[in-house]
Amino acid sequence: MFRFILAKLVRAFLTILLVVTFAFIVLRMSGDPAQIMLGPDAPQDAVDAFRARWGLDDPLWQQYLAYLQQILSFDFGVSMRDQSPAIKLVLERIPATLALTIPALILKLCIGIPAGVYAALHRQSVADRGVIMASIFGFTIPSFVLGLVLVLIFAVTLDWLPSGGQDSWRHAILPIATLSIGGIGILARFSRSAMIEVLGQPYIRTAMAKGLPWRDVVWRHALPNAAVPIVTLVGFMVGSLIAGAVVVESIFSWPGVGRLIVVSVANRDLAVVQCLLLVIAASMVMANLLVDFAYGLLDPRLRAKPAAH
Amino acid sequence: MSIAPAVPAPRMITRIRLKMPILVIIAVGWISLMVLTAIFADQLRPYEITRMDLMARLAPMGTPGHWLGTDELGRDVLTRLIQSIRVSLMIAFGATILSAVFGTTLGFLAAQFRGWVEHLVMALADFQAALPFMIMSLAVLAFFGSSMILLVCLMGFYGWERYARIARGLAISASAQGYAAAVVQLGASPRRVYLKHILPNVASTLIVSMTLTFPEIILMESGLSFLGLGVQPPQTSLGNMVGFGREYLTRAPWIMLAPSIVIVLTTLSISLLGDWLRDRLDPTIR
Amino acid sequence: MSILLDVRNVVQTYTTARTMFGRTSEIRAVDGIDLTVREGEILGIVGESGSGKSTLGRMLLGLETPSRGEVIYRGNPMPPPHSVEWRALRAHMQLIFQDPLAALDRRMTIARQIAEPLEIHGLAKGDALRNRVAELMAKVGLRKDQANRYPHELSGGQRQRVVIARALASAPRFLVCDEPVSALDVSIQAQVVNLLRDLQERERLTMVFISHDLKVVRNICDRVAVMYLGRVVEEAPSDQIFSDPRHPYTQALVSSIPRPGQGLSGRIVLSGEPPNPANRPTGCAFHPRCRFADAQCAATQPELQRHDGHLAACLKFVRARQFAA
Repeated sequence: MFRFILAKLVRAFLTILLVVTFAFIVLRMSGDPAQIMLGPDAPQDAVDAFRARWGLDDPLWQQYLAYLQQILSFDFGVSMRDQSPAIKLVLERIPATLALTIPALILKLCIGIPAGVYAALHRQSVADRGVIMASIFGFTIPSFVLGLVLVLIFAVTLDWLPSGGQDSWRHAILPIATLSIGGIGILARFSRSAMIEVLGQPYIRTAMAKGLPWRDVVWRHALPNAAVPIVTLVGFMVGSLIAGAVVVESIFSWPGVGRLIVVSVANRDLAVVQCLLLVIAASMVMANLLVDFAYGLLDPRLRAKPAAH
Repeated sequence: MSIAPAVPAPRMITRIRLKMPILVIIAVGWISLMVLTAIFADQLRPYEITRMDLMARLAPMGTPGHWLGTDELGRDVLTRLIQSIRVSLMIAFGATILSAVFGTTLGFLAAQFRGWVEHLVMALADFQAALPFMIMSLAVLAFFGSSMILLVCLMGFYGWERYARIARGLAISASAQGYAAAVVQLGASPRRVYLKHILPNVASTLIVSMTLTFPEIILMESGLSFLGLGVQPPQTSLGNMVGFGREYLTRAPWIMLAPSIVIVLTTLSISLLGDWLRDRLDPTIR
Repeated sequence: MSILLDVRNVVQTYTTARTMFGRTSEIRAVDGIDLTVREGEILGIVGESGSGKSTLGRMLLGLETPSRGEVIYRGNPMPPPHSVEWRALRAHMQLIFQDPLAALDRRMTIARQIAEPLEIHGLAKGDALRNRVAELMAKVGLRKDQANRYPHELSGGQRQRVVIARALASAPRFLVCDEPVSALDVSIQAQVVNLLRDLQERERLTMVFISHDLKVVRNICDRVAVMYLGRVVEEAPSDQIFSDPRHPYTQALVSSIPRPGQGLSGRIVLSGEPPNPANRPTGCAFHPRCRFADAQCAATQPELQRHDGHLAACLKFVRARQFAA
């Protein structure tokens, strides 16, 4: 078990390192940081001072090490727009985003998984077909179309709900609905196929053959085994709690992380974008780690296996 | 509008039709319509895409001369829709091919050289899977600014890790025992082994993955364009149209609805076709 | 007869999959073999699964490099695998596989597959290529109209004929047949064995025939080497080894060949666990299963010794002789 955890940690660390390297390479390739940070009209002596201050005249590997050191001390630079530290801007926005994504995640789990399992247990029934069709629509309709259609129906035509902003809980209903509908479809479809696969296994037939009640077969044998692949997908959803609402926040003018990304990208506010990139990557990697440990708990066989495939 | 069936053997047609569920036939019909629209966009569109008719701004659907209405500048929605279909499909098509070629090549390299090459490719694949693609794209667009070529190249990274994993896995199992090992001991060069033997054998699996990636790329590009960070005006794409139409949601919903419907129907059709192909050709991938 | 291949004290070890901290364990598939293959003969290599016979076959062809020792082909050491010289040498030596369906590309017609060695080594083009393929197909007994078939459309025996035709395309001098008939129906086996023998005579090929099936080996081979856990335990001309086996292991194998009218009498049944290269007994590897083994056998590893035209590796060799059939 110890080795398993260690292997996963090493891998997570490597992934983070790759993301940092990616940010460094892209940052350096996109032009002279001094020009970008100070703007094209900056006087030459300011540029020179900046270059000296950030060590831009050192060899590239020294710059890389300096960059790593900077990142490790949570110094992601200063936002061009309002001169406050990038990390502060990003952290400020996280609660607003979580206010949308956590309820959406709960909805996805509470509706998607039961619907998929129910469909798998009642194959070829009307409910099954309904779940399949709904799930296909759920993940082929892009969120920006879904969001706008919901606005058109519930805000413009019926005038039941506000179309944007963050003033009351009613403002959160449409964004949460938009976020969860697609995920419910994906999760339902995935749970259905995972469950169907498990139900076809010999040990289920054995359990049935020895006269175990159907309810026990499902609860004690089928569900725990189907949970293993479902956990992967849920882990991915947990990982995108911070980054998964870019489009939706944009539609509903919700002041969360997603809005911040879009605005910063449009303004080419590199310090903020870089900081967001690393924060999001870190959250994804953490979620992956959690999934791996959940695997270890769900499937004791995986604990012993070496990490490399 | 349906595609006139060419002359091929009637038996073949009936055989294929018998095997295809009705939904898949409709999907294929819609995809063909979209592809033809993209190819003949110049001939099909009634106006120039930038032609403004200031007398007929925000004309509703059904207006004579502007059957799908006009936008805030009086530009014909149908014209812009046709051009958008061409742009979006072209980006998605180019990107799908790029990502398939890139991913398959890396997968084959990993299988051929093993060792550190393989570790590197797999680490990159993990990295790609760990970072949401949209965030990575946004970061790159922030650093480099948006241009058509950059957009296609960027989208060309979408899903490469899936091809790489598939190609690597299949190539390793083919080389471990079986036909590839047999050809190697005949004295064939690695190039010959991969291009003449392994590639044709894994092609069906790769094509199925391509049909599954294609709609996702369309959605990704539309999403970016919707946010105003993908295709830039005066050029137009489906997502771009939805993004601009959003401003006029209350007064002129048709601007945004027409491209939305095209996006949904196209991705839905390709997904249906892809699912069907996968069940037929290769039930092993998900 | 001149020597085509000379195997000098080769050892092949495989390391098992690396665990996270780089720990590996070693398995000796082949553990010190000296062997010569003479021009124009058919040498049989016999042994159970895990005896290292396939590994030996692959080293004879240079498909694997031994971890110790060397393989000399016509006076020159084998070039490293996948080098340019190595690839050119493939035209001179070929392998025939156990499972012909796995060895053929299911998306290519058999004619194109037979033509491959000719294309790879630039031996024929255009009409000459087509003629050569037709000639090869006739040689192995495939009909002309089968040229454009795909492997799955043929029977197992026909597929093996395709593999043989492909192996012969570049007119090799040396052929290794690794269990060429064990995946085939018994009724087809004899046909394919006869085909191989005819071809060997007509083309004056040198052949190494690897099999666990002694009946097949007796039919075709001039000389036989018996392997047990990576070592040759006995080597002798074919008729001698079957009429007068010296090593207790060979005796057990030979006694298990059913003989008409003799029933099961005289059959020596081997007890104990089948050989496992990952867990090799000390001393003579065969001693846990040997009827004659004593404390000395568990301590000393016997070397091959010449005995009446046999080479055998056994400490109890003289006594064992009395039990020879």
